[in-house]
Amino acid sequence: MTDIIQVDQLKKSYGSSEVLKGINFTVRQGEVFGIVGHNGAGKSTLIHVLTGITHKSSGGFRIFGQPESGLDAVKKRMGVMPDTSNLYEQMRGVDFLRYMGRLKQKTYSGADYLSLLEQVGLADAEQKRIKSYSFGMRKKISIAQALLGNPELIFLDEPTSGIDPESAIHIRNLVLKLKQQGKTIILTSHNLDELDRICDRVAMISDGVINKLGTPQELKTGKAESMEMLLRTKPVLQESQVRMLSEKLSLDVRYAGLGKDHVLLKVATEEDVPLLARALIEHDFLLYEVKVRERSLEEVFMEK
Amino acid sequence: MRQEFNDSFKSIRSILIAVFFIYISYESAGFISRNPDEVSELLSSGMTENQVYTAAIALVILIFGFLFTFAISHDIINREIETKTIRLLVTKVSRTEIVLGKFLGVMLFWIATVTLSYGVLGLITKAWFPKDYIHSVVFLFYCVSFVLLLSSLINKTRVSMFAGILLGIAIPIIGLVAEYANKWHWVALKYVLPFHYLQGAAWLVIVPVAIGAVYLVLSILLLKGKDL
Repeated sequence: MTDIIQVDQLKKSYGSSEVLKGINFTVRQGEVFGIVGHNGAGKSTLIHVLTGITHKSSGGFRIFGQPESGLDAVKKRMGVMPDTSNLYEQMRGVDFLRYMGRLKQKTYSGADYLSLLEQVGLADAEQKRIKSYSFGMRKKISIAQALLGNPELIFLDEPTSGIDPESAIHIRNLVLKLKQQGKTIILTSHNLDELDRICDRVAMISDGVINKLGTPQELKTGKAESMEMLLRTKPVLQESQVRMLSEKLSLDVRYAGLGKDHVLLKVATEEDVPLLARALIEHDFLLYEVKVRERSLEEVFMEK
Repeated sequence: MRQEFNDSFKSIRSILIAVFFIYISYESAGFISRNPDEVSELLSSGMTENQVYTAAIALVILIFGFLFTFAISHDIINREIETKTIRLLVTKVSRTEIVLGKFLGVMLFWIATVTLSYGVLGLITKAWFPKDYIHSVVFLFYCVSFVLLLSSLINKTRVSMFAGILLGIAIPIIGLVAEYANKWHWVALKYVLPFHYLQGAAWLVIVPVAIGAVYLVLSILLLKGKDL
């Protein structure tokens, strides 16, 4: 699969503050690539540099094979929803899209704009002035302008942050639909569950560097120090019994918590689970439920 | 470009300015038509026909050109930066296109205003003044380029508005003083400002056009260097 974006040791500083400290990654054609990080981690700065809003300090990147100096040549193939951009408050929704469409040098009919507004769920707001739009509506029209010109590569900077659940679902479905159409999408978000659901790969950015990158599955299963196991037994397993079994089986099993009718254990590997289950049966425990709980992206993100 | 041009004609300020220019032309043409004796007197005193007919509109452009272009366009670049709407533009077109588009939009507004003013004058007096018309357009080309440079240079719209008012009043005065002063710094200003070039040989109009073009290039370079 072709790499649409190649980022190599990308750095960006504002004065003495280094926001991006050497970012490396590639984005493949047709994938949804998520970027997650704390506030101020450098997500938006990264998007700004890649889309020509700000300049890099050092390192490099290529989009559609073009370096930063050739970015203007590929702008028509890109759609960008910047994060904090203010919109043209006095314009009506449809006029705003018309203006943005003209910049893209594409000819649209009124029906085309209406169809675009329908796609983002704003069909009934085309004649309203943007200043009367809610926060969610602003996000939607900002996404709509990013889709003008049928771009191959779409940047969405926090498209669902701060909006109601129904709109967030609408936008997530739109992203998935765009992916089906073969678009390459880069999106930033604080919502790890959202990234887990819609992204092919996720980069976790912290303090200006990417410290984890992979598919959501790889991130959840890979390089984990331990996994969590839920055990429902009769009688309920006690902490001392866990220690005893751990020593007897020479396994790294730790007591992690007590539920209403179950215990939570930390085991080092998945292979430890059947060994532990067999030992419990041998020690006359009635085994009702054994479940290995998959880590969430949130837990992966919180791991140092 | 189209957006800038449309916006220019939508703003009350610019409509008033355009109406003011057209009104001056209309009134001066009316005066000339109503007072043939005074016109003959002026012609016999050594003034050319062009100078008599276009005196009012040309003077208004020379005195108020800077002030009015600042009034309409002091925030043409920095407002987009201040409100961050430039992020929407810069992800679609090049920074050079942004500056040139805005320049052409505003310039088109002034060309339309000047054309209407000279058109009204010509229709009433039944005389046409292509040289004076070109001088006015060249002068406004210089003004618009200068305003664009200032709007790229000053980040805050409030500061550019204040600077615009000051410069809009000061530049015509400086231009007048520089024309007759002997001190080197005044002489330097004489050659940087456009007034001097509109009085001599016809080819001299190339100079303010060239200086205006330099201002445009500087505006593009300034915007290209900015983090938006």
